[in-house]
Amino acid sequence: MKKLHHNILKLLVTLCCFATAGQTANAQSDSVPATKIIRMHYYNVNNSMQYILLESQLKKEKTFTPQANKTYNLYLDSAANLVAMLKTDKDGKAKAFIPPTLKAAWEGSSQHTFIVKEGDEELVSDYVITKSKIDIDTANEDGARVINVSVMKMDNNEWKPAAGVELKVGFERLGGILSAGDEETYTTDSTGTVKVTVTKDSLPGNEKGIITIAARADDNETFGNLLAEKNISWGLPTEINTHFFDQRALWTTRFRTPIWLLAMAYSIVIGVWGTLIYLIFQVIKIRKLGRT
Amino acid sequence: MENITTLTSEQITKDLMPQQFGRNGKIWVAILVLICLIGAYAYYLQLKDGLIVTNMRDYVSWGIYISNFVFFVAISLVGSLITAVFRLANVEWSTPLTRIAEIIAVSAITFASLIIIVDMGRPERLLNLFAYGRIQSPIMWDVIVITTYLFISILLLYIPLLPDLKIMGEQDTKGPKWLKKFYRFLGSFWKGNPAQEKISNKSITILCILIIPVAFCIHTVTSWLFATTYRPGWDSTNFGAYFISGAFLVGAGAVVTAMFVVRKMYSLEKYITEEHFDKMGKIVVLLALLYLYFNVNEYLVPAFKMKKAEEGHLDELFTGQFAPLFWFAILVGMVIPILVLVTKKGRKPLPMFITGIMVVVGAWFKRYLIVTPTLLHPFLPMTNVPENFKHYFPSWEEWAIALGSLSGALLIITFFVRIFPIIPIQETITQQNEKATS
Amino acid sequence: MNEHTSTSRRDFLLAGFATAAAVGCSDSTNPFTPEMAVAPSGEKVKLLSVTGEIIEVDKAFLKPVPDVPQLSNAEERKGIPGKKFVMVIDLARCKNLRKCQSACNHMHRVHSGQNWIKVLSMQDGEHTAPYWQPTTCMHCDEPPCVKVCPVDATFKRQDGLVLIDSDRCIGCRFCMAACPYSTRVFNWGDPGVTADVADQHYSCETSMPQKKGTVGKCDFCPDMTRRNELPHCVSACPNGVFFFGDMNEDSVSNGAETFRFSDLIKDKAGYRLMEDLGTKPSVYYLPPVNRNFPYESGL
Ligand code: SF4
Ligand code: SF4
Repeated sequence: MKKLHHNILKLLVTLCCFATAGQTANAQSDSVPATKIIRMHYYNVNNSMQYILLESQLKKEKTFTPQANKTYNLYLDSAANLVAMLKTDKDGKAKAFIPPTLKAAWEGSSQHTFIVKEGDEELVSDYVITKSKIDIDTANEDGARVINVSVMKMDNNEWKPAAGVELKVGFERLGGILSAGDEETYTTDSTGTVKVTVTKDSLPGNEKGIITIAARADDNETFGNLLAEKNISWGLPTEINTHFFDQRALWTTRFRTPIWLLAMAYSIVIGVWGTLIYLIFQVIKIRKLGRT
Repeated sequence: MENITTLTSEQITKDLMPQQFGRNGKIWVAILVLICLIGAYAYYLQLKDGLIVTNMRDYVSWGIYISNFVFFVAISLVGSLITAVFRLANVEWSTPLTRIAEIIAVSAITFASLIIIVDMGRPERLLNLFAYGRIQSPIMWDVIVITTYLFISILLLYIPLLPDLKIMGEQDTKGPKWLKKFYRFLGSFWKGNPAQEKISNKSITILCILIIPVAFCIHTVTSWLFATTYRPGWDSTNFGAYFISGAFLVGAGAVVTAMFVVRKMYSLEKYITEEHFDKMGKIVVLLALLYLYFNVNEYLVPAFKMKKAEEGHLDELFTGQFAPLFWFAILVGMVIPILVLVTKKGRKPLPMFITGIMVVVGAWFKRYLIVTPTLLHPFLPMTNVPENFKHYFPSWEEWAIALGSLSGALLIITFFVRIFPIIPIQETITQQNEKATS
Repeated sequence: MNEHTSTSRRDFLLAGFATAAAVGCSDSTNPFTPEMAVAPSGEKVKLLSVTGEIIEVDKAFLKPVPDVPQLSNAEERKGIPGKKFVMVIDLARCKNLRKCQSACNHMHRVHSGQNWIKVLSMQDGEHTAPYWQPTTCMHCDEPPCVKVCPVDATFKRQDGLVLIDSDRCIGCRFCMAACPYSTRVFNWGDPGVTADVADQHYSCETSMPQKKGTVGKCDFCPDMTRRNELPHCVSACPNGVFFFGDMNEDSVSNGAETFRFSDLIKDKAGYRLMEDLGTKPSVYYLPPVNRNFPYESGL
């Protein structure tokens, strides 16, 4: 079995190693060795959509700079199976889906190696992912709400439980998953499951009380990133109250000026300018009186 | 006014006619124009590079433009005081002063609106105020009320001017042709018949009543630009009255100064008498006392409590870097004028002139002290900013523009005095006739 | 799968997840980019699912960070329906690293020398302990800055954010005087934005590009939240000082940890700055107790 690496792979390309030899750390910036770094992330969303996210960076001293507009070729297992030709965006990132043409190759094995080449130079050759799936089940045990998450891995073309997978189990929230129980993360047992008793009750959901349960594994060494979601009506039905925004107040826009302020302003303006207009007519009258 | 009673209307008309600039007048105008041009050049630089040419930065985000604005608004209030209040109270001796007061008001309020445009980061978006104006903002109130006040002041200047315009148009003095045409255009329709006089008198009365609340508004609203914020030194319920009393004082000071200059230049000793100075002197004392009273309120009460937020601000004013200026403004702007003017001798024209200038100069710095030191004492500490953000001293561009605007206002007054009779001719004649018959 | 007729956007998001939850359904979404937040290209691509089935997704998802739809100024002024953003800053974790500041400055191309986030060295009283306090815009619920703006150039949205329209601002700086937290900065001269954003159309949500003669300030990165991502300062802080979330979801997250907002504030005695002014900030602070770092380490 191939040795599995951490998913962050570093490739050292010494640029000017001879020039820098023996120099101090404060050497000129272009003489400091820069390291080309390719990070790979595999994603599996709801056991359905899957993709690879590639990040390309240059590390110099302690700063990382994204490398934009780089082209890489991504292969599945061998140079025969081209997944995609990738071009990094301005953040140095690129994303690849596995095309249907590789169906046979994908189904042929339970483990796959992703290979990244820049031209002929092989930059990544040991990013290995084991096929897996993640499922959420909910239950009501003695009045307590329970979330059961199971992670299965492909082993010799059979789904077997995956033990020791660290998961976040909870509710989908802006920017993260709010753990349903008391722990921040959970680890699957020998049956590949975690059982989380929900301690956070009466969280706000949508109008109907629907709330999304999510279980996520982040950058797992074997399986990559896994995410499973499930909608359930465990939340509190929450009406979105826009009264706050729709009220008339001093801080609202000009379309929602408080009535008392409008009344005051307009009555003063109309009163004063009415008088002024009257006075202008008086001047005109004086004028007329002088002409006749 | 004993000495006026012996004068004939022809004599009065002749005396009060505007005169051409003498040598001094020309030098005066040249200097003012020069300062204005320098100011205009500085503004050109500011338009080109942005407000970066000023020394305002993120903490001191309002500088002498705004204090100059407040100064102009303050001084413009005098128009309502002298003209309206005195007219309504039938104070007859004020007749020769009304027009001086009104033209000061008009020119000051004109430059107040100009200087506020100068302060804008995006002057070309001025029309946004009308396209997207939001009545919740005190700035909108200020825009409305300044426009109104400018308009009323012009009317109040114009309607009493009608009879004089007629006289001017009929005089066959040598003046340039266009000037004659100008007078005729403005006032040839005035026949002085009873019907016209009735309407005009009524209009003037209405204006006098109207201008008082508007004048109070204009300065109260200006004070609210500050008082509606939370900042120590501005967060005060006293601010409206404090500003208005200050405004009356500086306005009166300005009138006294202008009186003296006009009297000297046009030799109007018969019309602007020592008695006028004496009476104005008493008024200045009264107003200075009033302003002093509000100052005590404004500083003593917070100083008694010394809330944490106020402490730094007040320390800086009383004993810190602003102390010389602060005590200068208090002494020169209020205390010394009071001491001088309570004496009979102090109310002679020359000492009055000098105290008038002191009051005005003191008031200008007082406005600066109201605006800037507060901004240097925010609630949260000033950190993570370049060093120059923590101090403020106006750049030469700011000085040039501020001085340019002051010269501009003086220039308007000067030209007005050159073109129009600064003391109402017709009214003086009428008043004298009334005296003669009584 | 077409429950997409529901009215509110919140429903949309959930509906998006609902379709994704159904295994084998062809309309799957990227977990980090809710489907509805993405500008669909209309073009579909076929791809292979985990289980070897062939599914279709919108081509827009091929981009690592899918484009969010271009919003009109009117939409930007309304805000994201159903959201009410909130931030929690844990003073016990701050050691004045200012990574938040540099990330913010970089992402918003803030004029050098100015900062939208400031880390202040605080000491409340003579004998009280000093601590580091990052300050952002508080996105007040009674925002004094918005009250005074004469032209609606700074405005409050239904999601609670106070943003600036630099295409409308007249540069009067009244808002700067009105803000008690001194959070606003002004572009006194040329803001010096980098070439890549200089020609962009100004967006109130990205606050870019900054314009000469107008104000700028922290915007809580609504462009990021539209993509379900956290503001730049939150993700940049290595100590997890900043928590960001949605009050309507009752949760805040710093990326690594997610807490129930109400519990966090209750357990740690959260408070807001200058409560007595009545500005009702949207930023809460957790007191600097049981600190991770001594104050001195930040000097
Ligand atoms: S912190 Fe200042 S700028 Fe931000 S909303 Fe509050 S008052 Fe406005
Ligand atoms: S500076 Fe701009 S945003 Fe601030 S109050 Fe003035 S117009 Fe409004």
